[in-house]
Amino acid sequence: MKPAPFEYHRARDVEDALAVLNSHDGLANILAGGQSLVPMLNLRVAPATLLVDISNIEELNGSGQESDAVTLGACVTHAEIEDGSVPDPSHGLMPRIARDISHRAVRNRGTIGGSLALADPSAEWIVTMLALDAVIRVRGASGSQNFPAADFFLGTYATALPEDAILTAVQIPQLTQAARTGFYKVCRKIGEFAASLAVAVIDGERGISRVALGGPSGAPMRLAGVEGLISSDTRAEADDASMIRAAVEADLSAAGRELGADALHLHGTTVLRALRDARGR
Amino acid sequence: MTQINLTINGRAVKAEIEPRCSLADLLRDHLQLTATHLGCEHGVCGACTVLINGAQARSCIALGVALEGAEIKTLEGMADDARMQVIKDAFHQEHGLQCGFCTPGMLISAWDILGRKPDITEADLRIALSGNLCRCTGYQGIVRSILLAARHLRQIDETQKGTEE
Repeated sequence: MKPAPFEYHRARDVEDALAVLNSHDGLANILAGGQSLVPMLNLRVAPATLLVDISNIEELNGSGQESDAVTLGACVTHAEIEDGSVPDPSHGLMPRIARDISHRAVRNRGTIGGSLALADPSAEWIVTMLALDAVIRVRGASGSQNFPAADFFLGTYATALPEDAILTAVQIPQLTQAARTGFYKVCRKIGEFAASLAVAVIDGERGISRVALGGPSGAPMRLAGVEGLISSDTRAEADDASMIRAAVEADLSAAGRELGADALHLHGTTVLRALRDARGR
Repeated sequence: MTQINLTINGRAVKAEIEPRCSLADLLRDHLQLTATHLGCEHGVCGACTVLINGAQARSCIALGVALEGAEIKTLEGMADDARMQVIKDAFHQEHGLQCGFCTPGMLISAWDILGRKPDITEADLRIALSGNLCRCTGYQGIVRSILLAARHLRQIDETQKGTEE
């Protein structure tokens, strides 16, 4: 046994989880798939005196297709998204991204809610939810709250999730049939967190052109300058790789991310390839 | 201590464990099921891969207490499994192991991969297997073994279809 001792509570429902979470006098953590939390407990880098296990809560394992959106419960696994056993609002983007997360053994247990709540800056779902303009749903002692993805991710492992609340679901707008999506990431080794990861979502019918970047430390970010280039009419110019690279650099600089030449080249390349991937589809 | 009830290799098991006890430690230390190996103990090396509810998972980062009611299969419980026997024979034939430490995890992963993707290409197999580390073989023998097993399983499948017709 590697972790330090902790208590464990298997929650029946969200209310039960919240009651136990908020009455605990110590460091309580939510356990879902445990694919990041348990390694951190094993390495003793994440202290916890209580784990509240939400993985058996029926409500959090469900998913639903509405007319213009799909809602995925927090405990939907990466493998369920990969296999298409939950509705896909993204015309194949989410299953393609899921397929590349870590390894199958991890995807079978790791959850979308866990990944969003942890907010590792290199994780796939935080960048994807930003690009898809998803809404993160949380429930706490004082009721429910919805956060647009853009307001939820605040920094490296930092989110707007209140301490007394649980991330319960994510609602993802349905893309139209005309939407094109692209994705590219660079990992030193297959299955590891990405050094850089870009997601592009272009939906002409809805006037959407979004490009999101993950990998640099801090919150995932939308690249407004790049989005301006690809949504403007100067498509021929926007195809110019050097213009895109310059826009990526300017967007990162405007966000206060001062990066070296090699990192800028890396992020410029993943953005270019994500855009190329979107054009090819 | 927390009491849990789960099924391991088809047998109902009731165990009293600490919440911090991993499934791997429950298997090895409490139930003497030592086919499941522990390498890194933080979810990187794949040696401890078992089946949880029929899908491959890492037993070193699965907490025993979180598996109430789950069905666990380890290599010990797959002695009579037809697909696993074909995979084991192929590992024998194509030198799919040297020291054998990673082998239980490799076999379970291969079983899971071939169940989902019977026609997997070599390139895709290498990606699918990238969560299982081997320090002896350079993966050549392992990949050859699993591709051989895939061919044999497809042949068996064809023969069975032929018989049914």
